Amino acid sequence: MNKMTFYQKEINRIKGICHSNDGQIQTVIGMRNYMEDNFDKELNLDLFSHIRFTSKFHLLRLFKKYYGQTPRQYLIDKRITKSKSYLRMGMSVSETCYSIGFESPSSFSTLFKKKTGKTPTDFQKEQFSQSQSKVDS
Amino acid sequence: MKIKVLSIPVQDQEKALKFYTKTLGFIKKVDVPLSEENRWLTVVNKEEQDGTEILLEPSPKHFEPAKTYQKALFDAGIPYTQFNVENVQQEYDRLNNLGVEFSVNPKEMGTVKIAVFNDTCGNKIQIVEML
Repeated sequence: MNKMTFYQKEINRIKGICHSNDGQIQTVIGMRNYMEDNFDKELNLDLFSHIRFTSKFHLLRLFKKYYGQTPRQYLIDKRITKSKSYLRMGMSVSETCYSIGFESPSSFSTLFKKKTGKTPTDFQKEQFSQSQSKVDS
Repeated sequence: MKIKVLSIPVQDQEKALKFYTKTLGFIKKVDVPLSEENRWLTVVNKEEQDGTEILLEPSPKHFEPAKTYQKALFDAGIPYTQFNVENVQQEYDRLNNLGVEFSVNPKEMGTVKIAVFNDTCGNKIQIVEML
């Protein structure tokens, strides 16, 4: 019989303390999945809170409590990650912008630069030159 | 400042390279011979080869406190670091089939699912899936 390690005991202890409210956990997981599926649309927490019979502000607090980020921050990260893969695939900047639910290419470019350090155009150029050098080598 | 390299201490670099590439699926990025048999050896993940590199550093072999620390973490079952995966159960099944030993089987912890395995180089490593 294996003795439980310190880590296994800690996991069980933490699970008991922090993760005992299954209703809350299922709610925030549902919320994250909703954002995963609808990142290209306008985030509508009213709709979501209606489905879950909870107030929008309660949902915001719960999400932050369990994921450590606000839903908006989470959605922005998701959209930036997604836009990177679209740009790598060769999609134009404006097409990428609309595909991830942004209205204006200039606000998309500004945000992209803030989050990644380069503009979408520069990012795309860099990706192509990298894949080209792989082909060449 | 940029986060370019993070390190994992390994007891045997060659064995670690094999495990981290062949078993875990990372790709070798930089391999520079240094003194004696030591190398500056880094791996990256396949989908993001310009992302953060992991340095497989031979510290437990050359620096006693590193060895002591590594062993203490290992004995307590504490992961040295963690990697994100799409699906913990699938990755668990895949690695299990390859003979990788797990000390924590797939387990839900609130908004994540985790599992912990032995990297055969002196560390426990945790895999995480966001639920």
